[in-house]
Amino acid sequence: MLGNLIKAEFRKTTTTGLWWGLLIPTVLIALGWALGTGFVGKNIMDAVNSSDAEELTRLLGIDPSQWQVSLFGMARSINIATIFPMIFGGLAISTEINRRTITTTFLTAPNRVSALSAKLVVYVLWGAIYGLAIVAAVSIGIALTSDSSSLPDAAGWLAMAGVGVLASVLMTMFGVGVGALMTSPVGTTVVLVLYMLLIENGLQLVVSTQGLPELVGFLPNGSVNGLTGSVAASLFLSTAGVVPDDLVEVLRAIAGALGAFDWWLSGLVFLAWTALFFLGGWAVTQRKDIT
Amino acid sequence: MHDGSGRIVVQNLTKQFGPVAAVQNLSFTVEPGSVTGFLGPNGAGKTTTLRMLLGLVTPTAGIGLINGRPFHELGNPARVVGAVLEAQGFHPKRSARNHLRVYAAAIGVPDVRADQVLQLVGLGAAGDRRAGAFSLGMKQRLALATALLGDPQVLVLDEPANGLDPEGIAWLRSFLQSYARSGRTVLISSHLLAEVEQTVDQVVIVSRGQTMYYGPLDNLRDQQQGRVLVQPSDPAALVAALREEGITAIEPLPDGRIAVAGVEAKQVADTALKAGVSIYGIQEEKADLERLFFQLTNGQYAAAPTQYGGQPPVGPGTGYHAPPPGYQQPYQQQPYQQPGYQQPYQQQPGYQPPPPPPGYQDPPSGYQPGQGQSGLGGGA
Repeated sequence: MLGNLIKAEFRKTTTTGLWWGLLIPTVLIALGWALGTGFVGKNIMDAVNSSDAEELTRLLGIDPSQWQVSLFGMARSINIATIFPMIFGGLAISTEINRRTITTTFLTAPNRVSALSAKLVVYVLWGAIYGLAIVAAVSIGIALTSDSSSLPDAAGWLAMAGVGVLASVLMTMFGVGVGALMTSPVGTTVVLVLYMLLIENGLQLVVSTQGLPELVGFLPNGSVNGLTGSVAASLFLSTAGVVPDDLVEVLRAIAGALGAFDWWLSGLVFLAWTALFFLGGWAVTQRKDIT
Repeated sequence: MHDGSGRIVVQNLTKQFGPVAAVQNLSFTVEPGSVTGFLGPNGAGKTTTLRMLLGLVTPTAGIGLINGRPFHELGNPARVVGAVLEAQGFHPKRSARNHLRVYAAAIGVPDVRADQVLQLVGLGAAGDRRAGAFSLGMKQRLALATALLGDPQVLVLDEPANGLDPEGIAWLRSFLQSYARSGRTVLISSHLLAEVEQTVDQVVIVSRGQTMYYGPLDNLRDQQQGRVLVQPSDPAALVAALREEGITAIEPLPDGRIAVAGVEAKQVADTALKAGVSIYGIQEEKADLERLFFQLTNGQYAAAPTQYGGQPPVGPGTGYHAPPPGYQQPYQQQPYQQPGYQQPYQQQPGYQPPPPPPGYQDPPSGYQPGQGQSGLGGGA
């Protein structure tokens, strides 16, 4: 029975143009950011590796030749691009309520739990599809503009790909929950984008300047950023040789993981946010009078 | 899982939207094999009732059952009940066929069923068009096609004639009648009696969230007093003869005919024959259903309880027209069981109620012909 509903939910997503309409900008943004950050990273490394800076790096006791700076660009690019699967998720339930197709959805399902479970499965799947597309686009972009020495090794790439897909899935489900709570497609999109791009950056700035950067890791975007950023920073540090402690914080900030915890802890924090909104949205939709 | 009877039972359904009582203690039964009209003016609670029956709205009290089960216990509900509801949506970018395939998948019927129902509702050529480009009438047809996907035993339609052209309405009428004739259940709501008068066999008439009448449409028609218009050779002699038989509701008409209320044409003709009066013309004037509907659905709060079924204003039942706060409780505990309702109901000749659920008695059956003006409809 659930299989039927999953099939129906999946058809719902493939019979309108939304999935590719959002996938195109997703890939373009991921590719563009990867190309850009790869280019910037390469220029920095060229500068650091130049004969002028060699004296300085030797004094600091570090060896930049093994620095996989592309990891930071990957983390940043993935984080930006996952905005789109989040919007895709945000429209999952809000569009159904707004278009009133939710009536037929509930009339053709044994109960709301199964209807919403099918949605859960399908949107986890779509989050993964978007995640794979993002990781592929980011990898291509980074590889095109970075020196091969600054690229991660296979294990490192796999780790980044894994957290990239995970971040995409979680962002999608976060969107589904917010959309179910707000029930307005436009409102959901505006709120999600504004929050992730502007509001939380403002919040992060405030808590950082107030001397509480640890709080950033508890915020939604801070924690999902920490998921990819922390992996990038750890991978970088594991191969970078000796790095002064002060520099570690700077590197984490570059990776977008300032104030964030270890990748798994960041993941758990964002999972909690996702669960909060998703289950909240579920509970509201479960009890909602469809009039 | 469910009993497969095709019976819809609405028992004491109540829905409170904040301070607004959309539906109050509504009860009726819909039997298979007939088209039942669910009638009431706009805002009478029809849509809310149907949505409660279909599990879309949670009742404040009471229960709606299909095949003896609440909607959520039907298993694969779309196989049991199909619904066309107002404001039921389509994604404007999704083609009609894809829309149907989505829900065909959910119900678990093969994709070919989508094309079958498209043909069935006359949208065979429009399957690839986006639903957003459909006219209101086409959307109604698509909604009906969606309801038919699971080949359900019970069909519930909320104002399905909206947006349909006369041809579409005629088609829908014959479709629903043949659907019901195959032993299935059809419940169709409307705010216009005339719209469904030719379609339905049974009616449930609600007003302000309460049942006003429930039974066969023909009985409702019979309850309304008809008149016999007769053109005698000697009006005075006929009037005298009729008065002798105790018939006093006689009224002269401007055109020289006389109108006799509450009798059959046959009786007037027999009386005239006995009195030696020739009859040049005789005509039965049927009850005006629309007027009766209007009376049933208006002024329920203003009507004097004493007029209702001829009962004196004692006992809880008399509060029916203007439920005070204390009224609901005895009414809910023992719905339709007040003795005051039973008596006029049983005195009513010729009234054949459909097989009601046990204990169910219908209060509006106490409606007395001829009292509509001062009774139910008096306050309008």
